[in-house]
Parts: sequence; C-alpha cells; structure tokens
Amino acid sequence: MRFRDRAVLVTGASRGIGAAVATALAAEGGLVIVNYRQDAAAAEAVAERCRALGGQALAVAADVTDPAAVAALAERIAEEVGRLDAIVNNAFAPYRFDPDHRPRFRDTPWEAYQRQFDGAVRAAYTVVQALLPLMTRRSGGSIVNLASDLVARPSIPYHDYTTAKAALIGFSRNLAAELGPIGVRVNCVAPGLVYPTAASRDTPEEVREALIAQTPLRRLATTEDVAGPVLFLAGDESRFVTGQVLYVDGGLVMG
Amino acid sequence: MSDLEQAGHLPGIPADAVGRRIVAHEAWGETVAVALPSLSEEQAKALCGHVRIRARDTLRRMETARIVAAIDRASACLLDRSHPLRRKAEALLPVVTGYDRETVRLGLTSTLKTFRRPQLLRFLAEDFFNPGVLDGFQPAVKGGFVRAQGPALLLHVWAGNVPALALWSLVAGLLVKSGTVGKLALAEPLTAGWFARAIAEADPELGECLAVTWWKGGAGAVEAVFLREADCVMAYGGNETLAALRAKVPVATRFLPHGHRIGFAMVAREALDSRRAGPLARLAAHDVVRYEQQGCYAPQMLFVERGGAVAPGEFARHLAHALAATASRHPRRRLEAGEAAAIAAWRSAYEMRALEGEGPSGGTELLGDLADPWSVVHLDAATPLSPSGLNRTVAVVAVDDLAEVSGLVAPHRAYLQSAGIAAAPARLFRLADDLAGIGVTRISALGRMTAPEAGWHHDGRFSLLDLVTVTEIEHSAEAAAEGFAPYAD
Repeated sequence: MRFRDRAVLVTGASRGIGAAVATALAAEGGLVIVNYRQDAAAAEAVAERCRALGGQALAVAADVTDPAAVAALAERIAEEVGRLDAIVNNAFAPYRFDPDHRPRFRDTPWEAYQRQFDGAVRAAYTVVQALLPLMTRRSGGSIVNLASDLVARPSIPYHDYTTAKAALIGFSRNLAAELGPIGVRVNCVAPGLVYPTAASRDTPEEVREALIAQTPLRRLATTEDVAGPVLFLAGDESRFVTGQVLYVDGGLVMG
Repeated sequence: MSDLEQAGHLPGIPADAVGRRIVAHEAWGETVAVALPSLSEEQAKALCGHVRIRARDTLRRMETARIVAAIDRASACLLDRSHPLRRKAEALLPVVTGYDRETVRLGLTSTLKTFRRPQLLRFLAEDFFNPGVLDGFQPAVKGGFVRAQGPALLLHVWAGNVPALALWSLVAGLLVKSGTVGKLALAEPLTAGWFARAIAEADPELGECLAVTWWKGGAGAVEAVFLREADCVMAYGGNETLAALRAKVPVATRFLPHGHRIGFAMVAREALDSRRAGPLARLAAHDVVRYEQQGCYAPQMLFVERGGAVAPGEFARHLAHALAATASRHPRRRLEAGEAAAIAAWRSAYEMRALEGEGPSGGTELLGDLADPWSVVHLDAATPLSPSGLNRTVAVVAVDDLAEVSGLVAPHRAYLQSAGIAAAPARLFRLADDLAGIGVTRISALGRMTAPEAGWHHDGRFSLLDLVTVTEIEHSAEAAAEGFAPYAD
C-alpha cells in the first residue's frame, strides 16, 4: 500500500493511460482525484473502480488549460482532501494518430502546433501553478508529466504533437531545477505507442508490426505498462530522482 | 561500548577515595556509562583548598603567554582527529548528548578552533587594551599603574545543552588566572573534564589549579561547600536553576548568571532574489539544525521581508525542504517525551490558528507533518517574537519592512541575545542600531548563529573584564615613593 494516506491528482483520467494510472494508485491505497474534461460517466466509472480496489476517489471536471477551471479544481482539492502529494499531468489536446493520413509539415498550420503546446505545456503549467501552494505544504511532492518516446525517436513525424511533448520535457527539467530546493520532484514518463487506446486505434496493423519488430521486448505498450513507472516516479521510492525522462517503450529508445 | 568513562578532573584528591555516580546514556543504538565524581563535604573542601592554594602559588605567577600555550596545546589535542582523546570524543559524545555524529564532529572542531593561540590572543585583546595588566602593573593613561586579576577561586556551574559549551567559561577563567572549579552538567559531563586533563598534560602545574567535578544540584551540604568557598560563581542554565542558585550564593560572592535566550533572524528583500534566496534558506536551516536549537543563540523565528523576488511563503518552503534534506545528513536526535510534547503543542497552536484564520493562502500555513523531523510555520501577518517548539521547529513571519521587527521582538528584551541578519550594509547598520536599543547583543550572518566568533561577548558582557578586579597604584603613591628612593636628592 505505497500510496496509503497519499493524494494524487491525475489529469485526463477518464480513459486510457490516465484511467490505468488512477486505478493503479487506488490499488495501492491512494486517494485519487480523477480529473476529466467532458465524459462524466466514464470518470465516475473510473472513480468507482478505484473505490472497489480499496482506494478513495474524487471525480472532478476541469479543462486543464482553463485557469479558472483549474483554480476551482485546486480549491476543491484543498477543501475536500487538504493535501496533495503528486500530480500526474496526463491530459493532452485531442490528437489523431494516423500514420497514413498524418499532416505533412507543409500542411501543418501554426495553429496545430499552438493547440498541442496548449494541451501539453500550458495544461501542465496551469495545473502546477494552481496546485503548487498546496503540494509544497509538505516536503516531498512529485510531478509526473506524460511525454512520448517520439521525442527521442520520431518513428512517425507527428510534428505538432511531438514538438509539444519535447517542449514539455524541457519545461519539466527547468521546473525540476527550480523546485528541487523546495522539495518537489519533476519527471517525465515517455511511453511508446500504447495500444489499444482511443488515440491509437487508427494506427494500422502494419505500422504496429513494424514497431513491434524493432522493439526488443517484441510488443506494444499497454496502459498498465505505463502505470507502473508513473507510480514509481509519483511515489517515495524515487525520492532522489528528478528531471528525468523514463522511456516506457519496450527498449525501442535507449538512453 | 561498555567501558566506564570517568568524568571530571580532581587534582589533589586520591582517585580511589572518590565516590562515583554511574549514569548510563543511550543513543544511536549504543550505550555509554559515565562515572561522575561524587565528593564528600570534606573532599569538596579539600579540593577547593587545593585549587585555591596552587592557583595562588603558581597560576598567579605564570605569564599569560604560558597559559595561552597550554590551552592551545590542549585544543590541538582535541582538534587532531587521530588523537585518542578526539577519537574518544567523537565516539562518546553522540551517544551521551544524542546529537548525530556529524554535528558533534563539526561542532567540536568549530568550538575548539576558537581556542588556538591566535584566537586566545584576540580574546585577550578584545577585553584588555593592554593584556599585560594580567601579568603585572602597567602604566595607566590617567597616571599611576594598574593590574588586573581574576577571582582567587572561580566556580563554574555549566549547562549541557550544547557539547563543549563549558570550554568558553573555563578558558576565560584560566586566562584571568583564577583557580577554577567547574561543575559538570548531566547532559554533557565529559568535554570539560577531558579538556582539563589535556591542559594538565600540557602543563602539569596549570593542571593543579583546575578541577572539574559534579554534585547533585540543590543537594544541600556539598553544594553549599562549593558556593561558600568560591569568590565568584559563573552559572549557566534556565531561570529557575539560576534563581535557586542565586539564593544560595553568599551575599559577598559575585554571581554571573547566563540564562535562557531566544534567538531570531531577519532576511531583507534585497537578499531574496532568485539566486540567493535558496542558499540563504539553507544557511538558516543550518542554524536551526545545529544543536537542535538548544543553544542560546539558535533562531526560533525568522522575519522575512515582503517585496523580494522570493516571497516569505516561498522562503518558508525553501527552508522546509532544506530542513528535510538536512535530516538525512544530520538526523534529529531522539526526543524526550517532554520535547515531543512541546513540538506537538507548538504545532497544534498554529493548526488552530490556521483553522480560525482567513484560509490557507491568507493567515497561517503549517508546513510538514508531525511525523517529519522538522516543522515550519509560515505566518502571513506580522507576529511578535515567540519561542518555537525547539528541535527543528521554526516560524517564518512575513513583514512589510524589517524596521518593524525591533518592535515585534522588544517584549522579550530580557531574553534577547543573538540575531542573524541578511541585509545590505546600510540597512544592516540601521537595523543593528534598533536591535542594540532593545537588548540584542550579538548580530551574525545567517549560517553563523550557532558559532560565535573568537572573543565574542557572551550576553554582551566582557567575558574576561567582567571577571577581574583591578588594583591601581595611584599617581600620588608613585610620586610619594620617589621621595623615599635611595637615590632621592
């Protein structure tokens, strides 16, 4: 029960990796704030699963790029939970991962980049700004930002998405340097292609097979594969690790 | 470690005739048994007599330079990490005092290096325009001649809150050539005896003029002998201990008490830029951690000015993490039940305040859990100085202007001593002026609060000058003597 008496906010937790992280935290006794944007029913189902696993859960709607909504989220956590030990910035702007129909660079408008920056960096920025005062009431807080192994190895050049994730890694390292002295760690988890999720369902069999062939562990990631490293970085076992990017892609990217 | 460590130094008293009281100390998984000397009334009287006579016959005639040399050699032994005495000190003091090994090691070195020859000469120069007055009559500016001497028998009653603290007054007494008898503190009954023995080894004649013993405080007859025999009593401890002692000191005997103090620190907005605020918080944490705020000079409250790049609340967080990070290198010592209760009470008082206050962002913010080996409270409103729960508990008080601070600490005038200040020169002096006016006697940099410099003036007093009386040959006597000279015309 590594997360007993620990409160963790997981953004974008109504499905996919976020939902897997939330339920894994709950299974370790944690209190999970299941943040979602639209799908209240899915978020409530995740919260219900968390409770069934022995944890506590609170589903809270908030668009994490909206400062007012995040301020309300922060206030609710402060009032109803009273502490925050970790933040998992998992939410990102909607994106269609479709290798066959991805926009080429010359067809990618700046607005597409901006949308992804907002979904990755601005969301993390807004959430951390709002929740840092609560988190730093105790020494030993942890922030885990979900990046992508595409930053190190753009197997498929999703320009806007991957550039924004690269920016998120830079954001995280700077934050790690500044917040270390006040006891907050900041790390990234960079998954490879996670299948199946809503975002990855358009990745064709052929592409998946090609990735699998080049992956030493010979399969794609599942959402549960990602949850383990996220829990490691969110919890006390990684208390002397900060500013790192942990690749979770079966060895496709090394180092 | 099951050997019995003999405490004290008793010249002229046959060791086998001395009663002992065994006290076991336990910390860090080890036990050390200390045998404290327990003298009879007759032995106490004989000890005082021996020290008084040997001091009169030898110490009074020694040049100050010889005493300095002996203290210097004794300090050198305890500074030499390969010396058996130093090795023993590093092994036993953590167990006896409960302080972690690193704190003891660094603290010993920091204290003892203030007792080397150059520092001792500075100590003398600090109090005497011409230290030669301790060795013989020296010409006085107003005419005539003057010499100074310490009390014939000086009794020290030491406190054990900080290791090796006894050495300050012990050294001061020897420098003014006083026969010296010291009473060990139960909480740190070793260093003074070791130091005395090291002095005896360096200069056996000097060693005969110096005794270190113990008696049960308030235990009538034996204590009465020491208090009756002494010409001057220098005592450290809490106000109750001091008041009880003062009541028993004969009226003609000088009594020099050093009671409890409360320290604080101030951080100016110009010191709170993005680069320097973090390191400053680490220095403040050092002052809080070293000796667990048991020393009179440790900060219990930090006044932090608004308007810098780093706000007081953020500084509090820096401090909190610096305390958390330091705990892995310097673990907090095991707390007595009373100490743990004091921390819990201090915390819950602020918890109550936080609940009553204007909410988490407004009033009172308690950082850290009761289970953490530290606590920081951030108070967003100017708050008067008050004691912390000690043992790594500290309040960070936000103020608009550091000029307010003297008003906030003034109610504790009788208990003020050390203040740490981080501010630009002009403000340092302006603030120091205000603080001097309300009874602060020592201003240091952050990070140096628990390490007073060589020759410091404890509680603003002249450590050596306070001990001596002067004998003056007035000009009239000198002039009249000329008339009686064999060569008089």
